Amino acid sequence: MEIVAKFEVPYYQYLNHEGNVVADLPAFAKDTQELIKLYRLMVLNRIFDTKAIALQRTGKIGTYPSTRGQEGVFVGVGAGMAKDDIFVPYYRDVGILVQRGVKFSDILLYWGGDERGNCFASAKNNFPYSVPVGSQPLHAAGVATALKIRKEKHAVLTVTGDGGTSEGDFYEAMNVAGVWKLPVVFVVSNNQWAISVPRSEQTAAQTLAQKAIAAGFAGEQVDGNDVIAVRDRTEVAMKKAREQNEPTLLEIISYRQSDHTTADDASRYEAKGTRETHWAHEPIMRLKKYLEKLGVWDDKKEESLQTECAAEIEKTVADYLQTEPATVESLFDYLYEKLPKIYEEQRDQLIQLGGQSHG
Amino acid sequence: MAEMTLVEAVNLALAYEMKADKSVVVLGEDVGKNGGVFRATQGLLDKFGPDRVRDTPLAESMIAGISIGMAAAGLKPVAEFQFMGFLYPGYDQIVNHAARIRNRTRGHMTCPVVFRTPYGCGIRSPEHHSESTEAVLAHIPGLRVVIPSSPKRAYGLLLASIRDPDPVIFLEPSRLYRWAKQDVIDDGKALPLDTCFTLRVGTDVTLVTWGAMVKETLAAADLLSQNGVSAEVIDVATIKPLDIDTIIASVEKTGRCVIIHEAAKTGGVGADISALVAERALLSLRAPVQRITGYDTIVPYAKMEKYYLPNEHQIVEAVTNIMEFA
Amino acid sequence: MSIFNLPDLGEGLAEAEIHEWHVKVGDVVKVDQPMVSVETAKAVVEVPAPQAGKVVKLFGKAGDIIQTHAPLIEFEGEAGAVKDKGTVVGSLEESNAVMDDGDMIIGSANPTTTTIKAMPAVRALAKQLNVDLNFVKGTGANGQITIDDVKKATSAPKKMHENFEVLHGVRRAMAAAMTHSHQEVVPVTIIDDADITDLPAGSDITVRLIQAMINGAKAEPSLNAWYEGKSMERCLLPEVNLGLAVDTPEGLFVPVIKNAEKKSPQELRDAVNNFKKTVKDRTVPPSELQGATITLSNFGMIAGRYATPIIVPPMVAILGCGKLRDTVVAKDGKMVIRRILPLSLTFDHRAVTGGEATRFLAEVIKSLES
Repeated sequence: MEIVAKFEVPYYQYLNHEGNVVADLPAFAKDTQELIKLYRLMVLNRIFDTKAIALQRTGKIGTYPSTRGQEGVFVGVGAGMAKDDIFVPYYRDVGILVQRGVKFSDILLYWGGDERGNCFASAKNNFPYSVPVGSQPLHAAGVATALKIRKEKHAVLTVTGDGGTSEGDFYEAMNVAGVWKLPVVFVVSNNQWAISVPRSEQTAAQTLAQKAIAAGFAGEQVDGNDVIAVRDRTEVAMKKAREQNEPTLLEIISYRQSDHTTADDASRYEAKGTRETHWAHEPIMRLKKYLEKLGVWDDKKEESLQTECAAEIEKTVADYLQTEPATVESLFDYLYEKLPKIYEEQRDQLIQLGGQSHG
Repeated sequence: MAEMTLVEAVNLALAYEMKADKSVVVLGEDVGKNGGVFRATQGLLDKFGPDRVRDTPLAESMIAGISIGMAAAGLKPVAEFQFMGFLYPGYDQIVNHAARIRNRTRGHMTCPVVFRTPYGCGIRSPEHHSESTEAVLAHIPGLRVVIPSSPKRAYGLLLASIRDPDPVIFLEPSRLYRWAKQDVIDDGKALPLDTCFTLRVGTDVTLVTWGAMVKETLAAADLLSQNGVSAEVIDVATIKPLDIDTIIASVEKTGRCVIIHEAAKTGGVGADISALVAERALLSLRAPVQRITGYDTIVPYAKMEKYYLPNEHQIVEAVTNIMEFA
Repeated sequence: MSIFNLPDLGEGLAEAEIHEWHVKVGDVVKVDQPMVSVETAKAVVEVPAPQAGKVVKLFGKAGDIIQTHAPLIEFEGEAGAVKDKGTVVGSLEESNAVMDDGDMIIGSANPTTTTIKAMPAVRALAKQLNVDLNFVKGTGANGQITIDDVKKATSAPKKMHENFEVLHGVRRAMAAAMTHSHQEVVPVTIIDDADITDLPAGSDITVRLIQAMINGAKAEPSLNAWYEGKSMERCLLPEVNLGLAVDTPEGLFVPVIKNAEKKSPQELRDAVNNFKKTVKDRTVPPSELQGATITLSNFGMIAGRYATPIIVPPMVAILGCGKLRDTVVAKDGKMVIRRILPLSLTFDHRAVTGGEATRFLAEVIKSLES
C-alpha cells in the first residue's frame, strides 16, 4: 500500500488579536499610511453598517444583512484586488464593492428595494449581488474563461459564504476552474453561520479550504480579523491567477457579529455569550491597537476619523432618501432589448394605473 | 381547537402526522434548531429528535434528491425549500426523478415526498424571495401542486399531501402566513386533494383563484355584493390535477368567469383553466373568460411591488365590465 | 405584554426626545404603521410599529427624553412576541382578523340552475337583433340555441292559431314556385271561347286540346319557349314538351309529355292516362316532371270557366281550360244553344307580344273547332 496523495492547508495570520505581529509582515504593511487607509475603510464600513440597521428599524430600507465584525474580510479582499480585476459578489460584501466604485447610497437603494441599486453602471467591473446562494462562483468561472480566451491579464474574484460551499454549483465552479486552469480566486467568507446552521453542521470537512484540493488546486485559511493577512493573501492569490492561470481558494475566517439579516433573531440558536467571546478578536480594535503601538494613532485622531466618517455616511443617507422613485414602466423596460409587442398592452395598462397603487 | 395563523396550522399538521406516522421526516435549511425561518417547523426538533428533524447543509439539489432516496426507501420526507426562488436547483431532481419514478418502474418504486416552500410576493423581501412560478411545476406530469389559502385548509391539505403516495409540491403563500387566524381542530382530518373549495356561493359570476389572491378575491366579492352582483368564489387549492368539474358547473350556472392569480400571465395556470372553460362551457358563457394576473415582468423589488400585485379593485372592475357584455 | 425599546437611530446619540405620538393607548396598530416622531439633535425621525397589536402603554409624552434601548411603547400580547419577527426577510402582515370558512363547500356548490346554452356568435346575434334568448326554443344539439333559431325568432309573427304546420314536399314546392313566379313573370291573360258543338260525340277533348296547342306552337313558336329573365335570353324550342297539370290530394303535379308533337292521338291519350296513374301512385319519376315548354291546365274538369293561370318560368305560356258547357250564343242573328269550351291563355309579356299570344290562341281555337 502506498499513499498517492496528501494535502496541506496552511493558515495565515500576521497580527494576532492583541495587535502583536506574529509573522513577517508583507511590504505594504510596513507602510503606516497604507494601514491607516485600511483602518479608515473598516471604520467607515462599520458606521455605515450601524446606520443601515437603523434605517431598517425605522422603515427606510427593507431587510438588510449586517457585516458587523467582518470588516477585516471585506476591506482586506477589496484592497487586495486590482482595478481591472472582475468582482463577483454574494450579498454581504459591501466593503469590497465600495472600494470598487459602488456608492454606499447604491447599497441602500438595493436593500431599500430599488432595482437601480443593483445597476453598478459606473462600477462596471462588478457583477450584481447574488441572492441564490452559491450560484455565482459559476459566473466567476465564466468570466475567467472569457478573460483567458481573450488573453487579458486580469483575474476574477468571487465570494461565497460558508453555507454556500455546500451547494453543488460551488463545487462545479471550482472543478471547471481547476481543470481549465482559470484565472479565478474563490473567497469563502466563513463567518461561522449559515442563518442558524453552524459551520460544524455544514460539512464534515475539517476546513472549507480543502474543498479546493478535490478540485485540483490549493486552498488556505486566513484569519479574517487580520486585515493585513486578508489583503496580502488576496494579492498573492490574484497575482497567481493573473500570471499563472492558477485558481486558489481562500477560506477567510471571521465571526458574524449580528443576526443573519435584520429580520433574523440569532438569540434563538446562538448560545449566549458566543458573540461577546469572539468580539475580543474583532478586526478594528486589533488594528487600532497595532497602530497605537506604532505611535501613529491616538484618541484625537480617532475622534476626528469618527466624525469625518459619520459625516460621509450622513451624506450618503441623504442621497439615498432624496432619490426620485423609479418610473413604473421600468418594470417592463429591461426585460428584453426591445419589449415584444404582446407585452406593450400590459405596459400601457401599468402606466395608466401606475399612479394609483393600492398598497 | 384553537385560533391560529396559517403558518401555525402548518406546524400543527406536521406535529400531528409526525406523531401518528413514524416514517415522516422533516428536513431543510434552518428547520431544526431555528424552527424554520417562518417558524413552520417550530418545536418539532424538541418533540421528535434530530433523526427525524434535520438541519441540512445549504444545498437544494441535495435536499430534493436525498428526499427522493428516502422516500423510495420507505420514509415519508417533508422537505422544505426556504423560498420558492431557491427551489430551482432542485428542479432537476423533481422533474427527472420525483415526478417519474412511479411511471418508469411501473409502480414498483414510488415517491411519497412533500416539498413545501413559502411562495409569492407581498412581504417586501429582497429579490428572488417573491416567486410565483407554480405553473412550471403544474406543467409536469406525475406531480401534484397544492396551495392552501387559509389555516384550516393548510392543516387539512398538508395532512392529505403527506399521506398521498405521490410527490406533492405544497406552496404556502407567505403573504398569508400570519395574515388572519382561524379555529383549527387538531383532529388529524385531512381535506381532499384534487378538489376545489367553493368559498362563496353566487349566481352572477364565477371567480376562480388560489393562494394569497383568495384574500383579494373575497374582498372583491364583498364589494361586488354591495353593488348587487352575486359572485361565486372558488379556491382551486389543488392546482394540479385540476378539479375542472367544479369550475365548469359554476360557470354553467353564472355564465361568467374571471380567473385571478398572482403569477405572471403568460403560461400561468389561468391560461389552462381558461382553455378548459372555453372547451367545456362555451355554450354557457355570456362574456369572454377574464384573467387578472401579475404582469409578465420579474417581480419588482420592494419599492414597486405594490404595482405588480393585482388588487380587489381590478377584480371588481373586470367583473363590472363583463356584466354588461351580453 | 411586550415592550418595544427605542431603537438605535444611528445618530450615535444616546437619547431622543419624543416629538409627537401618532397613536394612543387603546389603538390597534399594524406593522410599520408610524407610531411616534422622535427628535434627535439632527432630525425628526419616524419610528414605525415593530408589530401589530393593541397599544397598552406609552413610556412618555411629547417633550420627554427617552434613552436609546429604553422602553418606548408596550403592546398587548404574548411576551416575546415582539422579539420574534418570525421571518428572515421582509415583513409579514399580521392582523387580528379572523377568517371565517364556516360556509366552505368541498367541491362544487351543486348548482341546480344553468344558463341558456348558445355559442358566443349566437348570443351576439341575439343581442344585435334584440332577441331575448329566454324565449327562444333551441333546436341545436343538446338543446342549444342556433343562429337559425334566433333568426326565426325575429321574423316569425305571433302564431295566430296553434294548428299552423310547416309545409313540406309538393305543397312546399308549389308555394315556393308560385312565389318565385310572382316575383319574376309579367303575366297577361287573354280570355276566349271555342265552339266545339260540331265535334263528333265522344271526342277526347284533352287530346284535342293538346293537338290544338301543338298547332298553335307551330303558328306562333314564341309561346313554346323558355325565357331567362336575368340574362334576358330566350330560346324557341322545336319540341313541344307539354306539361299537364294534374291535381292530387297531395297537391299539384305537372308531368310532362315529351315531344308531344310527334305523338299520335292514341299515344297522347295513353300518356295522359299513364300520368294519371303514376302521379296518383307517386311513381312518376322526377325526369317526367321536368322540361315542360308549355303547360295545359284543365281545371274545368272540376269547376270554373275562366282563370288567370300562373306561368312557371322558364316557360312563357300556359293555357287554362274551363268547364265545358252548353250555353246560348248569338249565331247568324238567332239565339242558339252551343257547346262552349272556355279558354284562358296567360303569356309572359316580357318574352311574348300580344299579337303573338292572340294569334296562338286563334290557332288553338281554329284547331279545336274543326
